[in-house]
Amino acid sequence: MFTIQKKYEKKTKIALNQTCYCMRLGKLRQEQFPRDERFEMSKIALGNESLVGSLTPSNKKSYKLTNRIQEGKIPLYSVVFNSIDARFFNCFVSAGGNGINLYNCLEDGGISSLHSYTDEDKEESFYTVSWACGVEGNPFVAAGGVKGIIRVLNVNDKIIHKTLVGHGDSVNEIKTHHMKPQLVLSTSKDESVRLWNVETGICILIFAGTAGHRYEVVSVDFHPHDEHRFVSCGMDTTIKIWSMKEFWTYVDKSFTWKDDPSKFPTKFVQFPVFTTSVHTNYVDCNRWFGDFILSKSVENEILLWEPQLIDNSPGEGTSDVLLRYPIPNCNLWFIKFSCDLSLNYLSIGNQKGKIYVWDLKSCPPVLVTVLSHSLSKSVIRQTAMSTNGNTIIAASEDGTIWRWDAVTK
Amino acid sequence: MVTETDDSDSSGRIRIEDVVDDDIDDDAGESLVEGLDEKLNHLKRKIQGERVRSIQERFEVNKKKVDVHVTTPFSSNGGDDSDVFCTRMGKPLCKLTGFPHGVAERDYVPTKDVLSGSVRLPSAERIPPYTTWIFLDRHEFHSDVLNQNQRMVEDQSVVGRRQIYYDQHGGETLICSDSEEEPEPEEEKREYSEGEDCIIWLIGQEYGMGEEVQDALSQFLILDASEILERYNELKLKNQQNVEAFSDSGFKLGISLDKGLSAALDSFDNLFCRRCLVFDCRLHGCSQPLISASEKQPYWSDYEGDRNPCSKHCYLQAVREVPGGSSSFASKTEEKASEEGCSKADSFDNPHDPAGGVNLPVEKTNTGSNNLDSSSGIEQDNKTREKREATRLEDSSDLPNLSNKKQKTAVLDTKMPLVNTISRLEGDQGGKSETSEVNRDSGASLKELAEYIPDKTVHDGGSSSFKPEHGSGKGTMVIAEMSETSQPSTEWKPIEKDLYLKGVEMFGRNSCLIARNLLSGLKTCLDVSSYMRENEVSVIRRSSTPNLLLDEGRTDPGNEDDEVPPRTRLFRRKGKARKLKYSTKSAGHPSVWKRIAGGKNQSCKQYTPCGCLSMCGKDCPCLTNETCCEKYCGYADKFNVKWKQFSILYKFNPAVVFNTGARKVVKTVSEDVIVQRVNAEAGSVRALLLVENVIQMFAEIAGLGLARFISCGDGSLGEAPRRGEGQCGNMRLLLRQQQRILLGKSDVAGWGAFLKNSVSKNEYLGEYTGELISHREADKRGKIYDRANSSFLFDLNDQFVLDAQRKGDKLKFANHSAKPNCYAKVMFVAGDHRVGIFANERIEASEELFYDYRYGPDQAPAWARKPEGSSKKDDSSITHRRARKHQSH
Repeated sequence: MFTIQKKYEKKTKIALNQTCYCMRLGKLRQEQFPRDERFEMSKIALGNESLVGSLTPSNKKSYKLTNRIQEGKIPLYSVVFNSIDARFFNCFVSAGGNGINLYNCLEDGGISSLHSYTDEDKEESFYTVSWACGVEGNPFVAAGGVKGIIRVLNVNDKIIHKTLVGHGDSVNEIKTHHMKPQLVLSTSKDESVRLWNVETGICILIFAGTAGHRYEVVSVDFHPHDEHRFVSCGMDTTIKIWSMKEFWTYVDKSFTWKDDPSKFPTKFVQFPVFTTSVHTNYVDCNRWFGDFILSKSVENEILLWEPQLIDNSPGEGTSDVLLRYPIPNCNLWFIKFSCDLSLNYLSIGNQKGKIYVWDLKSCPPVLVTVLSHSLSKSVIRQTAMSTNGNTIIAASEDGTIWRWDAVTK
Repeated sequence: MVTETDDSDSSGRIRIEDVVDDDIDDDAGESLVEGLDEKLNHLKRKIQGERVRSIQERFEVNKKKVDVHVTTPFSSNGGDDSDVFCTRMGKPLCKLTGFPHGVAERDYVPTKDVLSGSVRLPSAERIPPYTTWIFLDRHEFHSDVLNQNQRMVEDQSVVGRRQIYYDQHGGETLICSDSEEEPEPEEEKREYSEGEDCIIWLIGQEYGMGEEVQDALSQFLILDASEILERYNELKLKNQQNVEAFSDSGFKLGISLDKGLSAALDSFDNLFCRRCLVFDCRLHGCSQPLISASEKQPYWSDYEGDRNPCSKHCYLQAVREVPGGSSSFASKTEEKASEEGCSKADSFDNPHDPAGGVNLPVEKTNTGSNNLDSSSGIEQDNKTREKREATRLEDSSDLPNLSNKKQKTAVLDTKMPLVNTISRLEGDQGGKSETSEVNRDSGASLKELAEYIPDKTVHDGGSSSFKPEHGSGKGTMVIAEMSETSQPSTEWKPIEKDLYLKGVEMFGRNSCLIARNLLSGLKTCLDVSSYMRENEVSVIRRSSTPNLLLDEGRTDPGNEDDEVPPRTRLFRRKGKARKLKYSTKSAGHPSVWKRIAGGKNQSCKQYTPCGCLSMCGKDCPCLTNETCCEKYCGYADKFNVKWKQFSILYKFNPAVVFNTGARKVVKTVSEDVIVQRVNAEAGSVRALLLVENVIQMFAEIAGLGLARFISCGDGSLGEAPRRGEGQCGNMRLLLRQQQRILLGKSDVAGWGAFLKNSVSKNEYLGEYTGELISHREADKRGKIYDRANSSFLFDLNDQFVLDAQRKGDKLKFANHSAKPNCYAKVMFVAGDHRVGIFANERIEASEELFYDYRYGPDQAPAWARKPEGSSKKDDSSITHRRARKHQSH
């Protein structure tokens, strides 16, 4: 455990200091976006500008700190609310080091600890966790980390449901299918995205190969209503949209598979339907917003862009960046944002321990509020927004969990 | 895009003042053109206003989608057993209120309680790290190479992107891209936004493209003035085209007959691999250099003298139907033919003889003229024809050896044309009408026709004796049909012309074959022959250019002294080697990282088919590269042309071509081959090789595996594979007769390859496959791989390195050992270098495989340097390092 902590002491400077030339609706201070001659070429052409949000908070909604717990000294990488099962909308799970903890947000601002799981292997360091669901409706939690092994826990019975082995390197993110919560996608350093059935423990599809990612895949998100689609992004600076439509029979098959999971005819999907590079550096978080995509690189901003697919030529297409949400001091990678279930708000932490809340339903973007506290100084790797957007949980690298609640006026 | 482009005032709700950046005012400077700056700013505002509006509109549309779909995926499924967790929520482990309102100094909530109730997850064994890889049974080009259309793009990451690599030890950043090393030669074309186009266009229209305007624009748009001018001209062109396109009806789907053949064949030329005989070859890439057969094999025309009329539209029929009215011509013909027969030395002294290119052995001409006598007789009297034929049959059998042989060959050949059903079906028709038709049609050129015909007849004479089944009544036909088909003959569409030229290339001036194979349904044989006559001059000239097929001398028909038999001329032609597309600039790059090297120390040279025109001489690239000439060298063209032909016939659908075309081609060519064998006796020795090559190629298509009996493709053409020490593994490699390899956890480090069954020494185990990348790219990748401490690079030859990182087979997991039980050998297999792994000693079943990576002195990783056995520890250290690297932010 000690070594794990140690390895984060060295923080790599972010090398590329990019400037985006954009139309500035707000008064964005010049210092934050120093002009850099090297990137003169990436100047946005006239007529392709995007609208940049102002960093002046509107204070439409305000949050106050209601709780803070110190889970340990281990950096926390992931914290997620349950958005699958309405009974557990107040529950969230955190992951960091070799521990997975389940909590319940109480009405009064308190947090109760429900379950705690510890991997006996101290080498394990969970990077990501996600809620899932068994076919019988049991709440599951799937977590993955440095070892590349995905643990599927049946939190109802407090047992390991499955251990999914297959990734060749660490797992960076796990996401659960909205409509079929037995399906999870995992992204890995081994340059692949895998689709699993957590109920049966089958690896159904592997998204990698000829036109796949060329470096670690960091983030993934299922399309909100097209159940066959998802978007993935990674350290090769690209964002890819994949379709599972042709392979959906295998998904169905995975539910009825009685044989050994390792004998399942896992298929490779080598060609995404769309590839773009809206960023010029590592892309570490992406999420669908309707048919648009919100994505974040280490460039101090989140972009909202429209993928313009060309119907008959998969793999091609253009992207049009529409909105920019500046996030100051956010150029480390592996800082992830989160949204509430109705996608009204977006929250993201930065490396100074502040949390930025943006209104997603306004154009040009409006910053709702900035949450800060004198004791919050460490990098907030991930935030979790409750389904209604009234609670924000922040997982910090110093091992603390912060709870912010909306102030009802 | 929902962009509105109406001219409505862009004020209103769009906050233009905010939109427009300050620096515009700085750039303004002194205006040289009156009102230009103002205009520019106005335009810019307008464009930006429209952009803002468009964004907002699209955003609103999308927002509705978000709202609709957000509400749907609620699943409040209350399972039977899931209550346990619910009750747990009521009875938590503990309640944590570590941070009461306000600031607390001692806010550390001991998590011991939590931990005590913690569920232990038993440790799960992790698997050795690897990058997801795709199984590959043959080498493959790096995908970008293919995507990028003949450009050898070799970037580690996706298309032209930078590969950014953050070192785990501090701030060092590696950008492994081309840009840092050398500026990419191919400049990326700047993409202009609609807004920029709009400004450039409008300003250009209003103020012209004077220098001041250019300057102002370049300042305004931060572009080079020259670029702007260029773009303006482009736009101008585009606008013009738009106007034209408006009035023009667009292209139809499918092959437009108005398009040229080259356009239609584009996909074939670019996508068909001549070496693997597939479209979209993943090994050799697209747009391979077209190695064309300069030394044209004496084509079908050699035995065309023995030909039957191909159909009722055959020009031969036309000749035969010429009696009566045009008998004078016929007699002339006869005279000339006999003259030709007598002159022996060459039959092409006829100044107007366009078919002089047809090369005939003297004896054959003799036969031909003999036959001609009788055949002209037939023309005059149809009734006696059969009888005479019978006699002629005897005559010809009395002829000396060569011609005899010739005719036997012809039997083989002519069987095909005879299969033509049309001629049989419509055999009995009135002949006279056709004659008149021909007369009418040919009109003034009839005389020419007559002069032309004899020569052809000479060649055809022999064949007439072999067609008793045709019946005497044939050669007559329906006038309607004739006119129907001859009508369009007056106008030749571009593609037809091109097809015709290809036909000449392939078959010589054999209008029957051309019409049947290339222009079926489009033109009749007669059309072709008359077209041939009409366009003789231009045709030759044109057809000679693309492939250097025909003699330059013959492009001048007026040259009366042009009487040298063309074959000798063809052989005389010396080869101009074509410029090869693959440059060797990447060769000789120093390899700075560890790489597995092949069996030999010096790398082999990449084989590129040579384009030697005739015999390979000293300049042959194959010779200088010390590779051997393969069957893909210079003379494969004939075969390619055939493939083209088939792909045209089958509408360029590769699948169809392969299903239906292959068999046909094989048949055609196997006959072709026989003929060539005959020629070979008279011709060069190389022709023999040709024959074998052709056989090989088609045997491969047909799946006969014949090639394997003839050659294993290791460069020793035609030699039987020897047994014994120099055992050639090519056959096994080609046939994929490999050992079963198992993948497992290595006893040394990471993954290892294991053998399922025991093998004896020198046994072929399998092939090491991977992506083919250039040395330059390999250098780049090597840097990255070395950091990850796993490299699957393998020096293949002077041009390529194999990278099995993302694509390969299980043998890539075999580890290094100083005392290996396997060895890798770069083998030359059918023109490609491939890597075979062989057993160095007897290997027992389930033993791990090792081979010598041939590391440099200090290049080997830690585990490889140490003696085997104590390596488990190193393994973990490696994985540990990997783990740390991951979160290097």
